[in-house]
Amino acid sequence: MHHNLIAQLSGVSRVYLQGNIEVKAVDNLDLDILPGEFSALCGPSGSGKTTILNMIGALDMPTSGKVYLEGRDLSEIGRGELSRLRRDRVGFVFQAYNLVPVLTAYENAEFVLALQDIPSAERKARVMAVLEEVGMADYVNRRPDELSGGQQQRIAIARAVVSEPAIILADEPTANVDSEAADTILDLMEHLNTEKGVTFLFSTHDQRVMSRARRLVNLRDGKLEADEIKV
Amino acid sequence: MNLNSMALRTLARNRRRTLITSFSVAFGIFLAVTFTGSGDYSYTNMIDTGAVMGFGHVSIEAAGYNDKPSLSRWFTEADRIGSKAEGLAPVTGAYPRIIGQAMFAAGAKSSGGMFMAIDPVHEKAEHNFFLRSIVAGRIFEKAEGRGALIGVELAKKLNVRPGKKLIITVTDKDGQLASELLRISGLFETGDHAADSGIVLVPLNRMRQTLIYDDNGATLVAVYVNDQRKAGRIKSQLEGKLSGSNDIEVLTWHETQSDLSGLIAVDRLFNYLLQLLVGLVIAAGITNTMLMSVLERTREFGIMMALGMAPRQVVRLVLVESFWLGCLGVAIGIVISIPWFYYMSETGIDLSRHVGEDYSAGGVLVDPVMKLRLFKESAVAILATVFFLTLAAGVYPAIRAGKIMPVDTIKEI
Repeated sequence: MHHNLIAQLSGVSRVYLQGNIEVKAVDNLDLDILPGEFSALCGPSGSGKTTILNMIGALDMPTSGKVYLEGRDLSEIGRGELSRLRRDRVGFVFQAYNLVPVLTAYENAEFVLALQDIPSAERKARVMAVLEEVGMADYVNRRPDELSGGQQQRIAIARAVVSEPAIILADEPTANVDSEAADTILDLMEHLNTEKGVTFLFSTHDQRVMSRARRLVNLRDGKLEADEIKV
Repeated sequence: MNLNSMALRTLARNRRRTLITSFSVAFGIFLAVTFTGSGDYSYTNMIDTGAVMGFGHVSIEAAGYNDKPSLSRWFTEADRIGSKAEGLAPVTGAYPRIIGQAMFAAGAKSSGGMFMAIDPVHEKAEHNFFLRSIVAGRIFEKAEGRGALIGVELAKKLNVRPGKKLIITVTDKDGQLASELLRISGLFETGDHAADSGIVLVPLNRMRQTLIYDDNGATLVAVYVNDQRKAGRIKSQLEGKLSGSNDIEVLTWHETQSDLSGLIAVDRLFNYLLQLLVGLVIAAGITNTMLMSVLERTREFGIMMALGMAPRQVVRLVLVESFWLGCLGVAIGIVISIPWFYYMSETGIDLSRHVGEDYSAGGVLVDPVMKLRLFKESAVAILATVFFLTLAAGVYPAIRAGKIMPVDTIKEI
């Protein structure tokens, strides 16, 4: 394990049972993610993109092989500690936004900082700064159901970024928004990557995402088909 | 993380479910107030009624008298002992009495029964059910006199009325037959057949002479307290004050009216069991509602856990929701129970058409009007029990919420 890697998958396989049939979602995969990457996992449905993100995000465990996050073997960490690891080191951007419906835009963005018990004044300063950055500072008191899809996704990005995680895992972040909103979201993510050095790993079908990603990891049937780094 | 705020918002978001659950809790309080209030009222009523029919809440008696009531079991200095008892704060009255078996005769007719010798000057009507139940004539005036207050059914049996003569025959302290000529001063009607057909009140000092007791002799001193629940404490205090007197013993109504005590104990047990069952049914309903709420929000919990919320924090969040549901339910329960309780404590429901005016149990008359009374400790117990049942009802759903695997609930990260 290289300790300067954000994430590393070493000989990872993930087998699911669908009834009595074994389905190999990821098959003996090796993958390294370096700090500052803006990478995309590409491939058809069922190629293992989401499973890989789940495992790097400590939401799922491999059937065999090892997953390391910032040098730590996730298989050796308990459930509570995995929660803390997700809270402190991983940011998630979900395809369906997945904001907490009872919380306002501000409170959704604040959620992870509140879990970290960051003092209120510091939380407020950091959340407002990020909301300014994603262009949602005027919507702090809106509930998710009062926001458009694009606005909800920007709040989700703010929520992922605000805790300054080691990596942001984004699954099809542009899938549920219109073209204009998708461009805005990608601009925002690219800006955060280039200006703040935030590491992004996407799973996507979207050509716009693939065209902006600086590394494309192509998957097919859970195996690495191609790993292309753009210059 | 402000779990309170999140829990309250979740409850506000699902207003209908929150209200239904809260009203279940409130209904539990309403039922518990009704059941417990009915018990507190009727038990106290029966105990007080039993006490004023002779032996008091606490009875200072000649040793062995309770086990084998006999006029040969008596003690001296009853007046002084009564004064001592009256010196205790919760005691509202203490009366030397002689209670025993007798034969009553008028003309050619006779009937067996009980007599209760009292001092009419000292006795208060609030502590003597028969003085409260006079329907003809009046109570005799002097403890040394020859008056008698008899039950209406006995008067009918003996074919007498106020002003007529009555002969009482008893066995004196030495076991010899002794008779006394009395004149009926009044009639009482309690509604209890056994009392109305078999009890005669007679002057205390006259009976002391008849039974060859000394001037302060009695078979018991009936002690009344302002709250029947203090009987045990008063018994202990009196035992302390009277230590060294081997010829007397101090008993509470539990011992002097063991039938009534047993009846109340059994009834109270059934009452509690019924309440427990109702409570469990309500708790199961709340658990079900909470569980539905958790299952509906599986994805929401999954998101929060994916973002780093620890399982124990999710458990706490659901428990906090239970806490606020309990608070809301208790508040609604108090609001809906107060008017009901007020009506039932003031007016009540008259059941005499169904049980009759003279329904008795455990040897005492029972008030046919169903009323409510709630002791402070009962009210606290009801609120605390219902509240904690609500909290307990949330435990299983909370544990279920804590076991949610985020990866199973979020199909796409």
